Amino acid sequence: MTATDPDAAEATPTRRMSCTVNGQHRTVECEDRQLLVEVIREQLNLKGTHIGCLNGDCGACTVELDGRIVKSCLLLAASAEGSEITTVEAMGSPGDLSDVQEAFWDNDGFQCGFCLPGHLFAARDLIGSNPDPSDDEIRHAIAGNLCRCTGYQRIVTSIRDAAARARASGA
Amino acid sequence: MTEIVAPRVGRTQVAEEVPAPLFEQVRRKDGDLVLTGRGGYLDDIVLPDTLHAAVLRSPHPHATIRGIDTSAARARPGVRLVLTGREARDAVGIIPHFFDPALVGGRTADFRCLAVDTVVYEGEPVAAVVAGTVHAAQAALDAVVVDYEPLPFVLDADAALEPDAPTLFDGWDDNVLIRLPFAEGDAGAVLAAAEHVLDGEIRIGRYQTAPLETRGYLASWGPDDRLTFYASTQNPHPLRSHLAEILDVPESSVRVVATRLGGGFGHKFHGYPEESLVCLLARLVGAPVKWVESREECMLVGAREFVHRFAVAYDGDGRILALRDRILGNVGALGASGGWGMTFVAGMAFPGPYRIKDYDVESVAVVTHKPPWNGARGYGKESAALAIERIVDLVAAELALDPAVVRRRNFIPPEEFPYWTAAKHLDSGRYTAALDHVLDLAGYHELRREQARERAAGRLVGVGIGFELTPEGGDFSGALLRGFDTSTVRMDPTGRATVLTGVTSPGTGNETGIAQLVAAELGISPHDVSVVQGDTDLCPYGYGNFSSRSLTVGGAAAVLAARDVRDTLARAAAVLLETPPENLVFTGGRVHALDAPERALRMRDLAGAVFRRTIALPGLDDAQLESTRTYTPSNVHNIPDEQGRWSPYPSFPYSAHVTVVEIDPDTGVVTLRGYSGVHDCGTIVNPVLVESQFLGAIAMGIGGALWEELPYGADGRLRARTFKQYLMPRAPDLPWINTGHQVTPSPFALLGMKGSGESGTAGAVASVANAVNDALAPLGVRVHEMPLSAPRVLSAIREARR
Repeated sequence: MTATDPDAAEATPTRRMSCTVNGQHRTVECEDRQLLVEVIREQLNLKGTHIGCLNGDCGACTVELDGRIVKSCLLLAASAEGSEITTVEAMGSPGDLSDVQEAFWDNDGFQCGFCLPGHLFAARDLIGSNPDPSDDEIRHAIAGNLCRCTGYQRIVTSIRDAAARARASGA
Repeated sequence: MTEIVAPRVGRTQVAEEVPAPLFEQVRRKDGDLVLTGRGGYLDDIVLPDTLHAAVLRSPHPHATIRGIDTSAARARPGVRLVLTGREARDAVGIIPHFFDPALVGGRTADFRCLAVDTVVYEGEPVAAVVAGTVHAAQAALDAVVVDYEPLPFVLDADAALEPDAPTLFDGWDDNVLIRLPFAEGDAGAVLAAAEHVLDGEIRIGRYQTAPLETRGYLASWGPDDRLTFYASTQNPHPLRSHLAEILDVPESSVRVVATRLGGGFGHKFHGYPEESLVCLLARLVGAPVKWVESREECMLVGAREFVHRFAVAYDGDGRILALRDRILGNVGALGASGGWGMTFVAGMAFPGPYRIKDYDVESVAVVTHKPPWNGARGYGKESAALAIERIVDLVAAELALDPAVVRRRNFIPPEEFPYWTAAKHLDSGRYTAALDHVLDLAGYHELRREQARERAAGRLVGVGIGFELTPEGGDFSGALLRGFDTSTVRMDPTGRATVLTGVTSPGTGNETGIAQLVAAELGISPHDVSVVQGDTDLCPYGYGNFSSRSLTVGGAAAVLAARDVRDTLARAAAVLLETPPENLVFTGGRVHALDAPERALRMRDLAGAVFRRTIALPGLDDAQLESTRTYTPSNVHNIPDEQGRWSPYPSFPYSAHVTVVEIDPDTGVVTLRGYSGVHDCGTIVNPVLVESQFLGAIAMGIGGALWEELPYGADGRLRARTFKQYLMPRAPDLPWINTGHQVTPSPFALLGMKGSGESGTAGAVASVANAVNDALAPLGVRVHEMPLSAPRVLSAIREARR
């Protein structure tokens, strides 16, 4: 063991980090090496953001960060200092689901539900910029997410329906 | 387009047809929780002061462990425990097999939570670290020094059968785990005498199901030495039994809680080393310990690596006269988990939906130095379907017949059911109708005309048919892997019902179907039925989730129990409403007299009266609004008949598929242009849930047919370690899938249910393989090695042009 071995240090470097999470100002202690998804799940105790691959491939850890959807396993938590984060918990609550969530439920747009954060955020993002997307546009909008249960077809139907609901309520 | 026939549910006290809350679209239970991130998967469970485990795995496919030095790792910050295989050996026993091959005449081997002297596959656990955080535990793994002496290894099944191949296990003189014959008639004689015979070989590569949630376990020992084990598992009760055995504690001292699963597909069958390892670590450190499988660790688990070497005899009309297949399954290093049995199913499923009287199939399971298999949706049926359906297409091509015509000429006709084969008693089927339905759905004849035009223009367009027979609900006597299951139904004083069942849901939604079935029996809303699964302290002993069984057996047991509860309610209502029990109707959350609907009780008032007034009111003398019943499928034949035929599976859904592909001749990339599937799982309880299962299974089948593969390098190490190498379908990769359903109830099952969940995987593999080969037909080449990845297809195209 050499003195320069970082793992041999007595204490892992840590920091205090502040951000706004689901509308609330939060300050947490975290290790420098912690990923954003880890801090969201552990320190912030928001378990709806899931870990499927830790490699940016599956999208189960998707959150909204300063208005953009991001895969929170690809960011160090420290890089989110001062940012505004929205997790899936804030998209709606039981008994008060968002239109996108209701559309997923009505159209059986999920089975095990583990991948939902990626699909729900991608759907909301798409509908925000394209109120009447084609099926192809929907499929490309969710291409960064993996789902192993549905074969995506009912996700496509759900997003199509969610867009229609958004148009109807906006009209 | 979609034909849904809804048979009436039997009701003892119903004299008229009553609308039931069955066969309707009911949204899946807990959708609001799951959609808002409140699902409660394994890694979401938090216990105070939980420590975290990391597992050190062998980098070698075969090696002797000469020694392990853990001193540096123990000194790492945050580390609480480092455990080696030698230390673990003295503390816990061997892992009982999910299904021991020795039970059916095969060889066996012992597996422990950590390897002791020898490792037999890359990734085999050799040591474990417990620390305050996952990162500290993982970092300390680097400081564990293992002195390995690498040994010769073998990765290929054929090579493993060579006389000088390195063997895996003490006492084995070769690497054959088991030889499983399935034969009727005299295929050899027919093949020798036939005018038309063709032969060939087809391979399907190592694959895995890759659920989005990997496995994970959290063990906590209470002050009373009672273990609570939260597990991402499909089989909580059998896992409890096996943990009690490994840990040498009374089974009553173990509670397994299967948390909400983020997908199962067979990956979460039990028998893994980490299950008992986490329990042991928690016991040793005196604190809860959690371990969650990394994606890379998950990818080590394989399935489905088969070679088929076949010969088929047929007549000039395309009737198949005889079939021989030698199947080789590369099951890796066996392990105690539930994978090797896929080699049984891969042979048992023959000869599929076809009336072939003379066949001779042998499935041979071979061990190699790859990691062990676990189950994978399809469970060998996809390999059988691939071989059978390619054979049918090859016969059609030789005779220049339409492959649909050849199928029709060979199907078992509906009037011949029930139909025996060597290891199946097929319940019922309308195979030609399903095929015709899917051809209609796909516009098959127009597709063929279009294909002819496109071929003339030089494009590589293919149309492929695949037909899948899906044996379901398997019963494996001798192991804790049975075909029956048990459910409790109880009603509370508010008139709501709770079901506690031994079957579990991996995310498919069977809890919603069970609630619908019970609601239909009790005349209440499915929203007033709660379903509890996965907690061994609460639920009756059951076998969990495998083989598309949860609704057909767990749901059927709940129906029987609900009928008992309804009978008690009817006797009470008869007293309260002063009418005979036969004159009562249970509907809409009420009970009323058939001839006087105004004489009615709300269910909450009726149930409330049973709880509050039994014994006190004359005639009200039975307060047991709870029943536990076991449902045993009636079409399981464990004891061979005089001809040696038996049937461990009771239920035989099937599906018919048409795939349309186009191949880019410059890149070999296969694009799916269209897909249609028709499914028959007997009586349907929730059409949306059934359709969702079918769609998901088809997508999995397509992925396995075209992209997904776990290749190994010459160093014996896995090459695909992330989703950047293991290519699962993404949304733009898949076409719109047209679906249809037909309903042919099983005469042997309660309500006629056959099982839904796996169906679709095999048909997709087969129809995609047929479509790709159909597209290549003008070039005169075939690709018989799955997946049909771009490099493989391109090399076939180049070979044709050479």
